[in-house]
Amino acid sequence: MQLQLKNLCKQYRTKCAVNHVNASLSPGVYGLLGANGAGKTTLMRMICGVLKPSSGSICLNGKSIEELGERYYSHLGYMPQDFGFYPDFTAREFMLYMAAVKGLDVKTAKQRTEHLLHMVNLQDVANKKVKSYSGGMKQRLGIAQAELNHPSILILDEPTAGLDPKERVRFRNLISDFAKEKIVILSTHIVSDVSYIADYILMMKSGQFLLGEPMETVTDHIKGKVWEILIDNREVGEYSRDFSVVNLHHENNMVRLRIVSDTAPAADAVTVEPSLEDLFLYHFGEDAQSERSDDYVD
Amino acid sequence: MLIKYEFLKILRKKSTIIVMAASLLLTAFLFGLPILQYQTYIQDGVIKGSEGIAYTKDQYQDISVPITDEYVEKTITEYQKLFENPDNVGYDGNEKFLIGNAYWNFVAPREKQLSMIASAYDSPGENSGFNKLPELDLANGAKFYQARNEKVESLLNTPSRELSTQQKEYWSNMSSKVETPLQYGYHEGWEIIMSSFELLMFSLLSACIVIAPVFSGEYQAGTDAVILSGKYGKTKLVTAKIISSMLFGVLAFTLHVIVAFGLPLAAFGADGWNLPLQVAGLTIPYPFTFLQATLINLGVIYLVLLAMIGLTLLLSAKMKSPYLVLVVLVPVLFIPLFLSPNGTTGAYNLTLFLLPYRSVMPEIGKYVSYQIGGLVLDALSMRAILYAVLTAVMLPLARLGFKKHQVA
Repeated sequence: MQLQLKNLCKQYRTKCAVNHVNASLSPGVYGLLGANGAGKTTLMRMICGVLKPSSGSICLNGKSIEELGERYYSHLGYMPQDFGFYPDFTAREFMLYMAAVKGLDVKTAKQRTEHLLHMVNLQDVANKKVKSYSGGMKQRLGIAQAELNHPSILILDEPTAGLDPKERVRFRNLISDFAKEKIVILSTHIVSDVSYIADYILMMKSGQFLLGEPMETVTDHIKGKVWEILIDNREVGEYSRDFSVVNLHHENNMVRLRIVSDTAPAADAVTVEPSLEDLFLYHFGEDAQSERSDDYVD
Repeated sequence: MLIKYEFLKILRKKSTIIVMAASLLLTAFLFGLPILQYQTYIQDGVIKGSEGIAYTKDQYQDISVPITDEYVEKTITEYQKLFENPDNVGYDGNEKFLIGNAYWNFVAPREKQLSMIASAYDSPGENSGFNKLPELDLANGAKFYQARNEKVESLLNTPSRELSTQQKEYWSNMSSKVETPLQYGYHEGWEIIMSSFELLMFSLLSACIVIAPVFSGEYQAGTDAVILSGKYGKTKLVTAKIISSMLFGVLAFTLHVIVAFGLPLAAFGADGWNLPLQVAGLTIPYPFTFLQATLINLGVIYLVLLAMIGLTLLLSAKMKSPYLVLVVLVPVLFIPLFLSPNGTTGAYNLTLFLLPYRSVMPEIGKYVSYQIGGLVLDALSMRAILYAVLTAVMLPLARLGFKKHQVA
């Protein structure tokens, strides 16, 4: 199975949200990373057929998704970011409704609903109205509905946004369970969410793919560009101003800084093994810094 | 299955229950008002409510007869004879009228019937009531139906009506089909229904308010992305939404109709269902009974309802919020309330009679007709065709609107 994005563009008046994106995706988990406004959600909406590209096309196994119509959508599972629920439906009713929208017959719908509610640990509250659910419970219900039709393409847009660390770990495990033999595109700006489960990393900036690499080699570009240095507490401000500081750790009266830089920030700085977060910071610089202050990063 | 869930989505909303309850209460109040206000005058005072209704019904027993020329002549003669005794006659400086026992024994039980008889001898536009009957010359008999026919012809030939020859022929032909002699009888409940149809606009609006979020509610709640990416999100789901909206609209409206018609019919009785409309308006050209006219107009209203549901769904598919849908819909439904016809012809009037508010009113005595080439259609037929066409146009557009919706 091949999902191809061919010269995909989305133009909003003066802003180009997605700019000539090309990719060929085969089964695996793709972590789509980018700062807010990078074009991730627009790209995912186009892949899901709910937003028309300004130009370019999306093809599944060589056939455009417009041409495939219902046949394409039957392969698709989508969990949009912050999508709403029907507050007066119970979780079970919501799942059965979504199963009907996805074209499952009644028997299969019931079986899948019970199985998935069990998987996401909502079976005990399945008859409660969704409006009484917490954010985490709603997110779990969201991924359960995306998985109803055994999709071979699973699109998850910021699935862990707003979850506490425990919920996020649980969520990552769920996604891993669901991901087998599928094309999974997982968008996030929380790097640690993808570092554990992604096979490939797609990095997006200003509507374009900055890089697309297997997880094992994605950090190779910045080998020798991640540094650690132990400095005096009073020097922190100066280093933060001049370099991209990934991490800051107090050790007695000193501070250990982790810095991403093409050149050594100081003579006594030592290179360390780069991480995905270092890569993210390397490419997104101040955008990433501001998001780090907004979001929990572990 | 999808229809069931879409129907459930509509029913489960708190706003649905609130709007429906408020609208049913309003309908019950509006159609119950004539019952609460009903009163009939007797020599000793006033009888109100159900007692008054029972008294009036009883009074009709003697006058529930076929209105033959002979009966009309006999009634007018009796009336004129009463005027011969000066003790029976009062004078207010303008006209003479019967007083005392002559009034209470002869006029009071048949006041409406006398008015109906007298109306045959009025000129078009004139409404002198039965006090002109004493002067009526009966030397050549009452010629009641001849007088009615002549009045209808005069109405059709009134220059301000600007009716074409084909239109005049159309109405004359229809009017000639009215069976005579007219059977007279008690018909209070039906008369209230026939004159209160426009109050059903509130019921129509309430059905539209409830279905306004069918598409736009999905956009507002952010559920559009997930359903549109489902296998049937752009196909069967849209059909299910339209069918469930139609189903809800028709059921909700029917519930209102049951309340609206049930109250007057329960209080005043269904008596008169088989009487001709002419007993309530002599020059009405339609050869229908009260029940037939009620059902025909109700049929037209159901078509208006379907078209308004179609319009609501179209707006809902195109707009981002149900409130915006209502901002457009409410004026469409209610602005015509403030527009009065200044005749029955001309583009303004003919358009006005086709707008939703006017279209729920039967207006069966106004001779409103539409000519398309050689084809003449009365207002009821024109409305039926127009709203059926509008429904047929708007539903596919609503469908397309949702199908083409872009999640942004």
